[in-house]
Amino acid sequence: MKATAFDQYVTLVRQGLRAEFVDKERLVSPVLFALTMLILFAFALGDLDQSLRIKVYLAETLLTALFALQLSFSRLFEPDRQDRVFDLLRTYPVSYSSLFLAKYTLVLILGSATLIPTMLFGAFLHQSANQSLFSWLVLGISILALAGLGALGVLLSVLTLKAQARQILYPILYFPLTTPVLLAAIQSARLCLEAGVTSPELKSWIGLLVGFDTIYITLGILLFTELMDES
Amino acid sequence: MFNSEDKREFLIGSVLQTFIIFHWCLAFFYAPVDIHQGPVYRIMFLHVPSAITAFASSLALCVFSVLSLRNRSERLMAWSKGTAEVGLLFTILTLATGSIWGRPTWGTWWTWDARLTTTFLLALLYAGYLLLYGSMAPGPGRTRVCAVLGILIFADVPIIYKSVTWWRTLHQPPSMIRQGGSTMDPEILWTLVAGIFVMSLYAAWLVRVRGRNILLADEIESASYASFGT
Repeated sequence: MKATAFDQYVTLVRQGLRAEFVDKERLVSPVLFALTMLILFAFALGDLDQSLRIKVYLAETLLTALFALQLSFSRLFEPDRQDRVFDLLRTYPVSYSSLFLAKYTLVLILGSATLIPTMLFGAFLHQSANQSLFSWLVLGISILALAGLGALGVLLSVLTLKAQARQILYPILYFPLTTPVLLAAIQSARLCLEAGVTSPELKSWIGLLVGFDTIYITLGILLFTELMDES
Repeated sequence: MFNSEDKREFLIGSVLQTFIIFHWCLAFFYAPVDIHQGPVYRIMFLHVPSAITAFASSLALCVFSVLSLRNRSERLMAWSKGTAEVGLLFTILTLATGSIWGRPTWGTWWTWDARLTTTFLLALLYAGYLLLYGSMAPGPGRTRVCAVLGILIFADVPIIYKSVTWWRTLHQPPSMIRQGGSTMDPEILWTLVAGIFVMSLYAAWLVRVRGRNILLADEIESASYASFGT
């Protein structure tokens, strides 16, 4: 009996998660990197004015998360490449859309494991006696940003698979392309913390974030198949 | 030795250069002096057409990329690479002219303004595309990978275009195409329209020439591989 696309997706997610949990330092290293960066930022910036606290918290934590996520995204196909799973997969009748969605789900799970501790630790470092910086809505906005960054991350991971000097090329392509998502996330999170959920601009920034997520996920599904045919 | 195709390209190039000189004459002698900025504003006649051409190049790159993915065409891929090179050239020209204009007007060569930063990002993306192209072995794999990136780059352009309306920036909002009509003097407007037209034609010609050169270079490279193999 032929496996449905959904069965393939579930199997690929399980296989990916197993591969990640076997190599635990791959799982933990982006989080440790992010936390170290936050501490370094805290040392470098020292005690901040109340007016700057929100801006610095958001810029620092989201940028740190972006760097840490880039580390884990760029190595997304590394276990598959090392064990020749990638080449084997291409000989099986696996739907490439299922493969993309499986890798994307993996990125969302692993990315959340990096993003959530980074946001919590960042809020803890920058909190003051009269202001708590943790907000569920900001966390939701960060997850929305992760949805767009993840789709782009999977796509660029395959895109640079055959390129020479991919360690340099990946960030060169990744950071400029993530700008719209990052800008929308920072602006909406800032409005959320400064002006509250009633801010009229908040809706349009979140709309832009969702719009770019949709664009990147759709392009990801459409273009991943094209890339897999030749990679 | 020049063949007939070279001669034709030379002729087209010469005509386009004449158009550019004619446009500069319009910019210097036909368009009036701006009462607020003085003669320095005339750099806008180079800056705005360069910027529009740089953004149009990303649209052309996207179209060529989609077509090269669909038709698996090496010719279209060569044109895509040519478009990225021309796009990078005009983006750098946009940043340079903007910077020269910014010094006397804003008092600084560069500021981390939304429009400037996003345009700089476009230059980085074009450079990234060319780096990726150069780092891969020729063949259908490279065609597909670069085509995918070409499509992704276009996603950055709406952000650059809308940046001046979304953020409070030093850069002025659109004054040519806006609700309620253009705010420009008709002589300035028509000089600018002529500049955009000439610059777009010139960019299209550059893409055509570069595309042809890239195809020739690929043929020579393939021939050298073939002779090495025998």
